[in-house]
Amino acid sequence: MTLYFILLTVLIVLMAIWIKKMWGRRWKISDKELTEDALKHLYNSEENKTDTDENTLSKVLSISTKRAAKLIKKLEASGLTQNVDGKQKLTNNGRSYALKIVRVHRLLEKYFAENTSINETEWHKIAEEKEHRIDENKARELAMQLGNPLRDPHGDPIPTAKGEIYSHNGIPLSKLETNDFGNIVHIEDEPKNLYKEISESGIYPGMQIQIKDKFKDGIEIKGDGKNKFISNEAADNISIVPLNKDEIIKQDYQPLSSLEVGEEAEVVGISKALRGMQRRRLLDFGIVPGTRIRAFLKSLGNDPVAYELRGTLIALRKNQSDYIFIRKIGNDK
Amino acid sequence: MKNERELIIEEAEKLRWEVGDNLHDSLLESIYKSAEEISRKVVSRNDAGKISRKNIDHLIDKIVTNKWTGLPIMFLLLAAVFWITIVGANYPSSFLAKVLVDTLHPLMKDLFVSLSSPEWLTGALIDGGYLAVAWVVSVMLPPMAIFFPLFTLLEDFGYLPRVAFNMDGIYKRVGAHGKQALTMSMGFGCNAAGVIAARIIDSPRERLVAIITNNFSLCNGRWPTQILIASIFIGNLVPPYLAGIASAGAVVSIAVLGVVFSLIVSWGLTRTVLKGEPSAFSLELPPYRPPRILQILYTSLIDRTIFVLWRAIVFAFPAGIVIWSVANINVGGISIAEHFIDWANPYAMLIGLNGVIILAYIIAIPANEIVIPTILMLTVLSLKISGIGAGAGVMFEMDNPADVAQLLKLGGWTALTGINLMLFSLLHNPCSTTIYTIYKETKSIKWTLVATLLPIVLGILVCYATTQLWYLFT
Repeated sequence: MTLYFILLTVLIVLMAIWIKKMWGRRWKISDKELTEDALKHLYNSEENKTDTDENTLSKVLSISTKRAAKLIKKLEASGLTQNVDGKQKLTNNGRSYALKIVRVHRLLEKYFAENTSINETEWHKIAEEKEHRIDENKARELAMQLGNPLRDPHGDPIPTAKGEIYSHNGIPLSKLETNDFGNIVHIEDEPKNLYKEISESGIYPGMQIQIKDKFKDGIEIKGDGKNKFISNEAADNISIVPLNKDEIIKQDYQPLSSLEVGEEAEVVGISKALRGMQRRRLLDFGIVPGTRIRAFLKSLGNDPVAYELRGTLIALRKNQSDYIFIRKIGNDK
Repeated sequence: MKNERELIIEEAEKLRWEVGDNLHDSLLESIYKSAEEISRKVVSRNDAGKISRKNIDHLIDKIVTNKWTGLPIMFLLLAAVFWITIVGANYPSSFLAKVLVDTLHPLMKDLFVSLSSPEWLTGALIDGGYLAVAWVVSVMLPPMAIFFPLFTLLEDFGYLPRVAFNMDGIYKRVGAHGKQALTMSMGFGCNAAGVIAARIIDSPRERLVAIITNNFSLCNGRWPTQILIASIFIGNLVPPYLAGIASAGAVVSIAVLGVVFSLIVSWGLTRTVLKGEPSAFSLELPPYRPPRILQILYTSLIDRTIFVLWRAIVFAFPAGIVIWSVANINVGGISIAEHFIDWANPYAMLIGLNGVIILAYIIAIPANEIVIPTILMLTVLSLKISGIGAGAGVMFEMDNPADVAQLLKLGGWTALTGINLMLFSLLHNPCSTTIYTIYKETKSIKWTLVATLLPIVLGILVCYATTQLWYLFT
């Protein structure tokens, strides 16, 4: 009796795992989601100047090639795409539909970055799931709540409600020569492992960097006062606008975390990596360029550190002081 | 042909792209810049604008955040606060109990009888409602009236932010705020007050963590239960000369276990359900200053003590009526309470408790302080003993722990029941006052439910595991 009971339990658990896997493979995915994901893929490949057929589509959407072929037929029939010399191209209708989805996706990512504490590496995945369930009205509300943002946290422009989009004019990071300066304008958020590598090394859109050295397997860059190494694959996913000499901000600054107790410094700026509420809180304390700041006390575990500025004592964690930049002022005598 | 309005909007849209995302930053920057310019013109300073704080402040800061002296000072100060609270509260508590329970209760009962009120009305209102309120006031008021002013004293002096500063390293690792060390300490006095104290945390995610985990601080109402049960059941497990140390050690371990649970649960919450809440760390360390005694007395007595006590009373009165009723309303010859106890017993045994304990925790929800009196009353009721206590539905307490031990052993209690009761007393739903306060503070049914149900689920799991392990090794 007990044995049967245990067997039954094991069986149910196995069934549950199997069903979950099926969901993961998207056998049961709704047609609407499939259509929208296909349009988005078409839009992206047109942006990247690559072609789409049932093979690439089946790979990207994790469905069978048969189903992908059927999907393409359906898209053509509903006037969202058209066949041009054997290649699938978006029609104007299809493009504006795709841009609507892209808009929702980027608004959601912006929302996660500004108003939640969801980890950076998860924004894209959760937005992929949620984007299909947000209609135009909700998207408008979301945009209003965020103050009609221009770009998502990856630096991508957010399409307007009318379906217009501003295109960035960056080039891949790997095209820059040693000692060149540039501003990062965009970081591709797919594939996941490369995005993770990039975001974890502390690189973000809006960052000014300099190429320090080029190696066989990667590039060494300097940004926010630190040297970072990134692989060639990751470097291809970073778009950059080269800077002229007069546009370059002086690189002789350091993170606030490098300030020793008793040393004094002047704030140069707050990194773009501090976003949303966190950033506003720091600005409210008066941490703006030109502010005098002095490291004052270390707590028991050396983190947080208390800093004196504008006559008050404020404790900051290392993951904040790493992203506040300073220029040291000679030791007080 | 586009009209002028559309053209302006189009132009503005184009300019937004050129200005970029930095607008907010640049605005603030320029505001600070002009404020500084103005202040330089009109404010004159003796020290020629050089930043420096008072030396005495610096000295105190150096000592309380020092690697060697910081922690001992913190433990000594907090221990002193708790010691003064526990020792100091005994006298006013027993005085209040004498007046409210021993003297006023019979007087009011006589008054009702002389007015020829029906027996059920006297029972429900006086033996039930009034007695519950009297009990809550006499055990709750004195500790709070001592603890809160002392705690507020440390706060007003400026010491508590330094505790948060020192403890932040640990709390950062579990995704919480260093100030949670303060709300947790406050929770050792009273969870409802601890929940309110979470207002000092201005980051939404960290504030919710502090509110939900506050119940893991063993509050004033639960210390007496822990001490009584430990002295009866834990003391017996070791030779007599170790009994005192063993039972004190057991109570302290339960309190420490609570702290450990609060950290683990904080860690789990911030990585799952609380991911969607924004988070920002900030901690100001204000200058030290001489405490303002009158203000401390006012905020701690009016804002904290009376406020919490009033909420407790509001819940205690109806709960008292319920307690009396379940013991006195009979269905098929036996009371509702006994029906429930018989039904719940087999399930309760699975987690090493019994039906009496389960029922007591349900009906004594207004305050943890009345759990033991309710357990004693229900034990007498279900054993059908006459001569102990004050009748069905009337809560009572015994002065001698040995008598309590004898009664509980008659009720079938073992050392395992004792250990599990101590665990369950730590890990069960917050009292109704705290639940209501959580709702008031979060304005969310969802978080109130999480804060209420999470500890019960943990309590059942922990008690179940303990029981199974106990049977495995005995």
